[in-house]
Amino acid sequence: VSGVRIAAVGLLTGWGEGVAALPADARRAAAGRALIPLATPHLDGERFRRATRECVLAVAAVEALRRDGAVERATLAGPDTALVYVTASAYGASNRAFVEGGGTGSPLHFPYTAPSAVPGEVAIEYQVHGAYVILLGGAAAALDALWQAARLVARGTCARALVLAVETFDACADLYGRGRWLVGAPLVETAVCALLAPGDASVSYGPPGTPSPLEDLVRTRAGETLAAGPLIALALARDCHYDAMRLSGRWRDRRVALEWQRDVAPLAG
Amino acid sequence: VAILGAGVVTPVGSDLDSFWSALLAGVDGTSTIERFPVGDLRVGRGGEIKKLAEVDPRLPGGRASRLLLAAAGDLLARTALPASAERLAVVVGTALGGVDELDLALAEARAVRRAAGALYDAPAHALARSLGARGPVITVSTACASGATALGLGADLLRDGVVDAVVAGGYDALGRFVMRGFDALRSLTRDRVRPFDRRRSGLLLGEAAGLVLLVREGDACGPRLGRLLGHGTGSDGSHIAAPDPEGRGLHLAIEAALAEAGVSASAIDFVSAHGTATPLNDRIETAVLERALGLRARAVPVNSIKGALGHTMGAAAALEAIMCLLASREGVIPPTTGLEERDPACALDYVSGTPRPARPRLSLSTSLGFGGCNAALVLEGVVSR
Repeated sequence: VSGVRIAAVGLLTGWGEGVAALPADARRAAAGRALIPLATPHLDGERFRRATRECVLAVAAVEALRRDGAVERATLAGPDTALVYVTASAYGASNRAFVEGGGTGSPLHFPYTAPSAVPGEVAIEYQVHGAYVILLGGAAAALDALWQAARLVARGTCARALVLAVETFDACADLYGRGRWLVGAPLVETAVCALLAPGDASVSYGPPGTPSPLEDLVRTRAGETLAAGPLIALALARDCHYDAMRLSGRWRDRRVALEWQRDVAPLAG
Repeated sequence: VAILGAGVVTPVGSDLDSFWSALLAGVDGTSTIERFPVGDLRVGRGGEIKKLAEVDPRLPGGRASRLLLAAAGDLLARTALPASAERLAVVVGTALGGVDELDLALAEARAVRRAAGALYDAPAHALARSLGARGPVITVSTACASGATALGLGADLLRDGVVDAVVAGGYDALGRFVMRGFDALRSLTRDRVRPFDRRRSGLLLGEAAGLVLLVREGDACGPRLGRLLGHGTGSDGSHIAAPDPEGRGLHLAIEAALAEAGVSASAIDFVSAHGTATPLNDRIETAVLERALGLRARAVPVNSIKGALGHTMGAAAALEAIMCLLASREGVIPPTTGLEERDPACALDYVSGTPRPARPRLSLSTSLGFGGCNAALVLEGVVSR
């Protein structure tokens, strides 16, 4: 059993690409807007014409990760890369379209209502065959996902782990409007992917306690990003060269904290 | 990791004893669906649970939560929770969560609770609230492999010392959403479900929940059902709705589960196959099992219980794991309901017709799902004398 490090992070938010695009104060930058949408990139290929917007955003986040860490496609391919996906609700848009369409569209619409369609498209695109975990929930679930991914890397089950989160809100904005007790504002659509590789940081659950400074920082700078929040926190922490950090998040009535000790430096080259 | 007990609710029995008796008797639990309209669908049959206990209507997640709580009631009737609330986790798998609440949420403009209940993780939180669990509450959604992955994650929480006990398993409810989806895919059969049969023509869906209580081996006292020795997962990276023709993800999942268990393929005594009865799944799964089990592949008994229950999606792998442990304890393997004429292209030793006396100590359970999800479990049963 060893530790992990953050090899790369690809971050796409309604504010733009990377942490540099995040405003100092998301609420002020939103200027009263309830939703900051994320533009859907164009990807070539028949698969991406039938795939949902969330699938396309997921692949775009991995492309951003590849740019961030100069990660070759070949590095991600094969059984040594794990894929851990987390979302609170990115299946909501496809579910709603299926319900409102009466299930009368393309036969393939239904498989794309499954949360697994999003990482499924990433696995196909990059030929990822390793350990495969999908967790549902908000920021708390994302911390569970980070724990699981770090565990897979630290125990040598895989050589690296992609931790992917996608959150979209546009198609269900009215439903989120009813659930203000569950989500904050502004809602900021996000697709983010972190690559964990063997390193010297240990990742473990800590006492839930109160919100960590990083949780507050993500909320202030990015807005409400649900499961994407802890991965944005990783990107912010890396850019600040933290040696140790406490990641925390809340969803429903559950608060989770992870203790991330020692090196969080980016991969060179 | 020790498995202290189990609880279920299924179309063939609403507790562990009736579930097991029905499997041995070869009961076909599928019937015409009565709870919602199916007249517009090509196929209106499935493994529907006709009577289900009422629960607190304030709990989110609708019928899915009711299934989970019914299985939890059966579990708690047999096994006491050994950990404090803070050290108890809930890890459950689902393909659909409380999705049928979405229909209702969209219809009722101010239905805030229904909107939150339509999120797929709502039933897990309803179960945690019901149990008083204050540890991790995790929802896994690797489609129809979810139950297996949930058991694996639960074991990981114990191995890392995060908690002292985990209620783990899977569930899914039948509803218009999923019936319409599989109907559109033309995956449902008008015949009965016939895993590995040359006449097989598709699956029928079912609803169920299956839960187990996991603790660290060193903390286990008293009787137990068995042990979870290893789990593995793998992605196909091939197609969103069809299994990889080479079964790469499933093969990797089996290898990972065997490696974590520290046992060789030659030690496996029994295989609980995914066995959906679709032409493609059963052929590919058979080929993968032949590769994974090697020379002994055709000597290892294999069954599928989907002919009895229908495909219970997120619950399937949890129920199949429980069935493996009961087979060890009772010294008999349930038959593959619906299998009458074995497909020559599926050349394994499928248990069919009548229960087979056997004393399997080590079982392998395999699962596949949409999105290229695959999972495998290696279980050790308490072999009867």
